[in-house]
Amino acid sequence: MSADHGAFDELAVGWALHALEPEDEAAFARHFPGCARCAETVAETTEVMAAMATDLPQAAPSEGLRSRLQAAVAGTEQVHRSAAPPAQAAAVPVPRLSRVPRRALAVALVAAAVATIAGLGIWNVVLGAERRELAATIAEQREVMDALMTPGRATIAPLDHDGRQVATVVARDDELQVLAYGLAVNDAGSTTYVVWGLGESTPQALGTFDVERPQMSVRTVRSGLTGLDDFAQYGISIEPGHEAPSAPTEVVATGQVTS
Amino acid sequence: MMRVTMGSVSSPARRPDDPSRDAEIMRRIREGDRSAVDELYERFRRPAFALARRILADDALAEDVLQEVFLSVWRDPAAFDRGRGSVASWLLAVVHHKAVDAVRREESQRRRQVMAEDELALDAPMATRDVEEEAWSRVVADQVRTALGVLSASQREALTLAYYGGYTQREVAALTGTPLGTVKTRMLAGMRRLRQELGGPPGGAAPGDTPSLEEPQA
Repeated sequence: MSADHGAFDELAVGWALHALEPEDEAAFARHFPGCARCAETVAETTEVMAAMATDLPQAAPSEGLRSRLQAAVAGTEQVHRSAAPPAQAAAVPVPRLSRVPRRALAVALVAAAVATIAGLGIWNVVLGAERRELAATIAEQREVMDALMTPGRATIAPLDHDGRQVATVVARDDELQVLAYGLAVNDAGSTTYVVWGLGESTPQALGTFDVERPQMSVRTVRSGLTGLDDFAQYGISIEPGHEAPSAPTEVVATGQVTS
Repeated sequence: MMRVTMGSVSSPARRPDDPSRDAEIMRRIREGDRSAVDELYERFRRPAFALARRILADDALAEDVLQEVFLSVWRDPAAFDRGRGSVASWLLAVVHHKAVDAVRREESQRRRQVMAEDELALDAPMATRDVEEEAWSRVVADQVRTALGVLSASQREALTLAYYGGYTQREVAALTGTPLGTVKTRMLAGMRRLRQELGGPPGGAAPGDTPSLEEPQA
């Protein structure tokens, strides 16, 4: 057995436990199909997990659940994988022409952004720190991950500054968020960051935000937006004052929509 | 931590796994028999609920997960791959997956509570009691507990945080103050050791691996 398969053995266990980080999950998802050894490890882990499930206080769900389930089953048709494309395929939204395509925000799509974040080392928690601090750090990371992983359609644009990723714009139907992980802390009293939508016409200011600490953070810069797929690129500028000017003065990061 | 003992029940286990019956139920579901979902639900509602409830620490959310899981089995029974193990372990893995998804959607507050309630849960009165099933469950649980006891403390911690707590490997690393790579190694070693203790063929898919890849820890 090849010695370098050990890493995949470990990932297979994490995969079965649903405990992989997005970047590991993406790596394993590429490897897994066709790997008999990993299929075996996943199956073994699944059996062990089922055994662990027996070591729990027994409890039964309410009687109401049985009838709710029956009603749901009665109203649900089965999917048939091998048959012709199912009827609901017609309901899949057709991407608009000549626009940046918007897709469901899948884990795999954010994997790249997350890998970048992880690569910055922000996720490394100082060993020996108090558990309370660790829990707080994890809660912050969780907040960031939740913001990224919220189901729904979104576009993602990692923004670079001198070839280094410093922020990621996540645009959704109802809000625009900036994940900042390399932007300098600004003086919120006299300056502001501005997010710009860049397309075929003049840059459009979409919202302002401040960076209050060097650690990774998520800022919702605008909500209630529509038409976010008008932009193929996003940019961030630093501006004097608190308002967005009509055109950016000092652009600090730009990036293409990647998904 | 002592587990609550219920009276003097000592009858032999009467609800052993019945893989052929489970497979038969899945076959009927694939053929479109809605009543087979009822049977599947009847067979697995307790362990499925116990697991979802443990991860979510919320009965209502746990019931939502169960409904989602059993409905998904009805919708797409082909998701179960007969070549990959028993119906029981597959179904519980799906429950685990959906419950972990749900807990990750919940605010982190709830997750902290799960940790705090771990010890309490083991001593909590059982919500519904069925003497024979309980006796069977206790026999199995004792085996699992014994097997878990064989693991090093760090292996046990890594597996239980991931499985019962729904934490990712990186979160387990942070919670335990351990490098991520070590956490991954511990989970693999712990899983193999548990499997061996629970009666799986030693070595399994990885001949030559020693069951314990790291030092036992006090």
